[in-house]
Amino acid sequence: MKKRSSSLLGMAFFGPALVLLTIFLFVPMVLTLIFSFTDYFALNPDLTHFVGLENYGKIFRDDLFVKSFFNTVCFVLIILPCQGIGALALALLINRVTHCKKYFKVAFFIPVVMSLAVVSTLWMQIYSPEGILNTMLGNLGIPAQPFIHSAKQALPSIAVMSVWQGVGYQMIIFLGGLQAINPGLYEAAEMDHASEWQKFKDITLPELKPLCVFVFITVTIGAFRMIVQPMVMTGGGPSHSTYTMVYNIYETGTVNWEIGLASTMAIVFAIFVMVLTVIQSILTRDKEEGKHVNKKAKGN
Amino acid sequence: MLTKKQKGINWILTAVLLVLSLFFLFPVVWMLANSFKPDAAITADMNTVAAFIPPAPGGGFFHNYLSILTNTNFLRYMANTLFYAAILILCGIVVNGLAGYALAKIHFPFRERWVLLILLLQIVPMETILTIHFLMIAKVGLLNTVAGYILPMIVNPFNIFLFRQVFLNLPDDVYEAAQLDYCSPLKYFFTMVLPMSKTVVATVSVFTFLNVWNDYLWPSLVFTSSNLLTAQIGLNSITSNENTTMGQTLAVITMVTIPVIIIYSLFSKQIVEGVTSTGSKEG
Repeated sequence: MKKRSSSLLGMAFFGPALVLLTIFLFVPMVLTLIFSFTDYFALNPDLTHFVGLENYGKIFRDDLFVKSFFNTVCFVLIILPCQGIGALALALLINRVTHCKKYFKVAFFIPVVMSLAVVSTLWMQIYSPEGILNTMLGNLGIPAQPFIHSAKQALPSIAVMSVWQGVGYQMIIFLGGLQAINPGLYEAAEMDHASEWQKFKDITLPELKPLCVFVFITVTIGAFRMIVQPMVMTGGGPSHSTYTMVYNIYETGTVNWEIGLASTMAIVFAIFVMVLTVIQSILTRDKEEGKHVNKKAKGN
Repeated sequence: MLTKKQKGINWILTAVLLVLSLFFLFPVVWMLANSFKPDAAITADMNTVAAFIPPAPGGGFFHNYLSILTNTNFLRYMANTLFYAAILILCGIVVNGLAGYALAKIHFPFRERWVLLILLLQIVPMETILTIHFLMIAKVGLLNTVAGYILPMIVNPFNIFLFRQVFLNLPDDVYEAAQLDYCSPLKYFFTMVLPMSKTVVATVSVFTFLNVWNDYLWPSLVFTSSNLLTAQIGLNSITSNENTTMGQTLAVITMVTIPVIIIYSLFSKQIVEGVTSTGSKEG
């Protein structure tokens, strides 16, 4: 009797969440997978056929999809070293100084607080042909740059802006990691007259390694999902130079109503992101096991 | 005790960071300073240090701000967003909190499998099912309604898991004592469990608020009617209007940021803890 009432109670408590999970997560996931094998066009749903793997071949032959894919990869490749290493460098510097620590933490964190739409709108003004950045460059004798108005510079310009916005977040993560390092390790190194570089290479870096993996993968996933910046700033242009994968999914599905194709792209996108997430969870699980072993060793 | 050499290095590094931070903050300083100027002054000041200095307070100091507040729907957009955030915080705590409690403390069939499923769900990026969400909401005629915006956002596997982890540590004897007093499970949850877990409730509320306030993609799909827009979408519709001046644009984006700054300064401890412990919100 008691057991039955407890399972009823459990389902009653879990029920509302389960209903919403089913409607808004399970069903859409299954539908996305099913639609990815069809030519479902939402404005004329009666003509839907099952087309097998045709969509998957189609999108990889589609120049625009390939372009949006390479734009996304290119964006990731700019963001990753700049934001990852930049955040680590800032954290190391801030951890080292003794004055104005609080000011530095807040200063580099401020852009994180601003939304993507706000940052994009602000940098549209900053990047404008007669804007403040070109004026400052002009004072240094550098000719005016087109930034987001040229196919060549648009993507790097958006990447620089995104690094500016995001770097403070990872800096805080790294600062947390640096403060968690046992100071005894450095004291021991000082006894051995280790140089600054040796201390960094042999203590700081190995201790931060799990955190680095975590940061690099989350930055990569975040960059993969990029869409708001080009939506606000460039509309994906000029000549699709800032058109990303998610932007492509969004336009194919909700503007052109080609749900079949959009679903195929969404599945390809999801596979990339999920593979990255799984890699991250495997690599960071090692870290926890490592900690466990350390604790045991200390206990003995 | 620092040696003389170490002190010297310390001062050099501080100076380097100071210069770096000034360069880093120039867009924000420029935004704030020029949001108080008419466009003619913004252009005139561009080539001098005055570009980073606000004008002397006086008549028309808040002109850009006041003209936005009186001539556009901006206040309405801000109020809308606060309203949506409030609903989502309430519904989210009830739905995800109850689910988290069930998964932590109540024995029911397949409980461990549900927990695993909730964990697995977190790795699916929401952008994948965006098109289907949009299609579903459109098919049931909920585009341009508050319900259409809110319903898909209530349940959150991440928050369910967070609640579960915290509720796992709650003592069982309180529940047994409450049962002796004929306290119903639902009453027990709202009068005992939630008040005992203030920290996680605060964390979930803060992150829900920031999510709703900063979200762009989903509200831009659901809302087209100007009465319902959120602050971010409204900001875009105001600044892309040709009649909006540069000064007004800067004033709008400053105002959209103010509530977030307030939340961050009030809850900075929870937020930094959340960032450093999990850090898994956005990239």
